[in-house]
Amino acid sequence: MMPSLSYQEKSLYGELIADLAVFVPYFVYMHLHHATLTVSIIAAAITILIAIQIVLQIVIAAFTRNRLKDERDRLIRLRGYRAGYFTIVGVMLFGMGALWVHTTLGQINPTHMALHFLTMFFAVLMIAEIVKTITQLIAYRRPL
Amino acid sequence: MPGLRNTLRDLRATHSMTQQELADAIGVTRQTVIAIELDKYSPSLETAFRIAHVFSVPLEQVFQYDPPSSRKK
Repeated sequence: MMPSLSYQEKSLYGELIADLAVFVPYFVYMHLHHATLTVSIIAAAITILIAIQIVLQIVIAAFTRNRLKDERDRLIRLRGYRAGYFTIVGVMLFGMGALWVHTTLGQINPTHMALHFLTMFFAVLMIAEIVKTITQLIAYRRPL
Repeated sequence: MPGLRNTLRDLRATHSMTQQELADAIGVTRQTVIAIELDKYSPSLETAFRIAHVFSVPLEQVFQYDPPSSRKK
């Protein structure tokens, strides 16, 4: 039997939709136009993400009567943040290693290092955010 | 959930109480009551006592613990 979704779950689905709606086009764009990386693209992605989040969360809140958060929600949130933390650590180490290898091989111009690092850092945060949200959604459906 | 069982569903039926009514009485969401009933979540001690208080029964009548040695393999 599939129980109905709580406000927290609906909110998480909203987060996931917003994350994917921004991050997937961002990654595709970055992959196709990696020669034209700019800070403005990252800033635009963050701005669009915040705008979508605000709209979705307002809609979800408007259509949910009971917005109570209890001990199980808090426990699941902690699990999500733990998964996100380990993702940040793991992917960051991998990303820095990749940057080092590409720089050593001469595939990255050292003068663009800061921009490459910024892009990698943003990607790490985005991946960790998605992992965190998915972990929480799974935790809602599994025994704790 | 290994170890902990509960009689929440039976107690609710005895008291003609819905999941939402119990959830409101103990200050959790209906989804948490469902998870407890299905043994998918072990509540905090405070919530466990609140449940017992709502039904006016001792805690042991709501929750039972099976030590590992007595569980089925």
